[in-house]
Amino acid sequence: MASVAPQHPVMPITPEPAPGTSPAPTPKNGRLMEWLTHWSIERRVLAGFGLVFAGIVVISAISYRNTSVLIENSRLDSKSHELVQLLESVSEALDATERGHRRYLVTGEESYLKFYRSTVEQMPEYLRYLRGLTNEWPEQQSRVVTLEALIDRQLDAEARAITRREKDGYEAVRHLALSGAAKNELERIHTVMTELDGAEQRALQSRVRQSAGSTKNTIALLGLGALLQLVLLASVYFLIHHDVTERRRVAAELENRGELLQAANKELEAFSYSVSHDLRAPLRHIDGYAALLSKAAGEALNDKARRYLQTISDSAKQMGQLIDDLLVFSRMGRQDMLRTTVNLDQLVKTVLHDLHLDLQGRTISWTMSPLPLVLGDPAMLRQVFVNLITNALKFTATRPEAKIEIGATKRNPSEVEIFVRDNGVGFDMQYVNKLFGVFQRLHRSDEFEGTGIGLANVRRIIHRHGGRTWAEGALDQGATFYFSLPVARSLK
Amino acid sequence: MTTVKPILLAEDNPRDAELALAAMEEHHIADKVVVCHDGAEVLDYLYCRGAFASREPGNPVVVFLDLKMPKVDGLEVLRTIKSDVNLKPIPVVMLTSSREECDLAQSYALGANAYVVKPVEFHQFITAVKELSVFWGIINEPPPDSSASTN
Repeated sequence: MASVAPQHPVMPITPEPAPGTSPAPTPKNGRLMEWLTHWSIERRVLAGFGLVFAGIVVISAISYRNTSVLIENSRLDSKSHELVQLLESVSEALDATERGHRRYLVTGEESYLKFYRSTVEQMPEYLRYLRGLTNEWPEQQSRVVTLEALIDRQLDAEARAITRREKDGYEAVRHLALSGAAKNELERIHTVMTELDGAEQRALQSRVRQSAGSTKNTIALLGLGALLQLVLLASVYFLIHHDVTERRRVAAELENRGELLQAANKELEAFSYSVSHDLRAPLRHIDGYAALLSKAAGEALNDKARRYLQTISDSAKQMGQLIDDLLVFSRMGRQDMLRTTVNLDQLVKTVLHDLHLDLQGRTISWTMSPLPLVLGDPAMLRQVFVNLITNALKFTATRPEAKIEIGATKRNPSEVEIFVRDNGVGFDMQYVNKLFGVFQRLHRSDEFEGTGIGLANVRRIIHRHGGRTWAEGALDQGATFYFSLPVARSLK
Repeated sequence: MTTVKPILLAEDNPRDAELALAAMEEHHIADKVVVCHDGAEVLDYLYCRGAFASREPGNPVVVFLDLKMPKVDGLEVLRTIKSDVNLKPIPVVMLTSSREECDLAQSYALGANAYVVKPVEFHQFITAVKELSVFWGIINEPPPDSSASTN
């Protein structure tokens, strides 16, 4: 009988390997590291923490399962203990009944039937309880069924013996009184009970082993998890540290280069300063002595000589103008910028007012649409409009009626576009990239005067305001110059 | 006022000095001009020492001061003048090629009375020098000479 192995449901406790996401280092470790270093710091950190998180989840799941097994086993254990105790009680009750009924058979004394009666009364309850305790294990359940039948038969046999004693007296049941009414049944009952008890004890022992294993397992797993997380955290730290060190190095280098650049800029500034100072003096002398000469020898000179002197003087002035323009341009680049609200409508009005003396004798039709408020340096923005408007005036000088339009469009909420359009001589679009260059001119100086610095200044000022400049035009079809300015949040 | 107070022109470049004198000639004030060729000479003149040890005492009516000069530059001279109680009242006009903001700011901070950028064009230059000389040398009333330098 002992060959029947207990078939209690046993929870699997060996941890399954984490599917797919095995965090253990692969043999391709070198290649993995190389691959990792190609990732950005964010991805690396994210991957590291993801791995740690996955490890924690797997370990938690397995620990939870193991703990559930422990709880389940302890529940089953208490059931088993109850069963063992119950079997003992039943066995004692049956023995006491058997002894009582035999004594009754011999003596006919009613009081000996007390045990018998209470057992008969209680047995269904015991059996129901027994069924309840074994309901999870079919093997034990079938033993209980056998046991029930045997107990029924025993109690039945005893009942019959008692009835005969009452009816026919002691002699009729004499041999029954010596050996017991259901001796065979009682023996078999004890055998089945021993089986039940043995099976339960074995199940108990196996569960104790299982629980111990499960506990050990959980502890080992948690230790492994901690180790794993430590390794992963260490590698994440290593990656971050590596990256941070690299960033620090780059920042230091950038700073170093910035300092070099600043030094170069300072040098350039000193250069332009001495250009402004030292180049102007000889020019002043050329012009001055040419004037003194023409004054001293004016009468003696013929027209040709006077024209030569005039040319010397004009050239000196032109070079002075070039130097001045260049200095203004360089100053526009380094001057500190104001940032205030600028009313462009007002600004354009004052520019036009300042220009109105130069415009006498010309027919000009102005088209003005309202301009927005912007944030910027008023003096610099004024320079932009002065340059663009004088350009428009200059290149429409050959037109019988100059048409100049100033307006604004707002294509997106973050910037405004402002344009100055004219119907002047225009330009060929293939030279559009040269328009905003320093000293770039698209016309001969005997056609239109100028040093070619105006639009370069416009571009520099607009760039410093965070905007863009561009132009559209066609030969003899006029030109449109655009610039954009970012709209300050407070002005939207 | 026994003698006419002179105009002190500090100009290291002889051509610039000549052009300036030519401009002043037209108003017959050139003969009242003392020309110094560097900052050290200006200070020598003001403190009556060196080559000017035997000059008649008294401050000039105005100093025209170039910024870039050998030995002691214009700003240095300006600082000395404006930190000396006796020299402080002398009007100082910066006459220079530089239009740099820092030069302007520094000059005014040190107490310059005017700042004039020398124009490249001769006619403008002549007009500027003439007007300056007439204003500071003739129209403007100089400070009283009671605190004349006694060195």
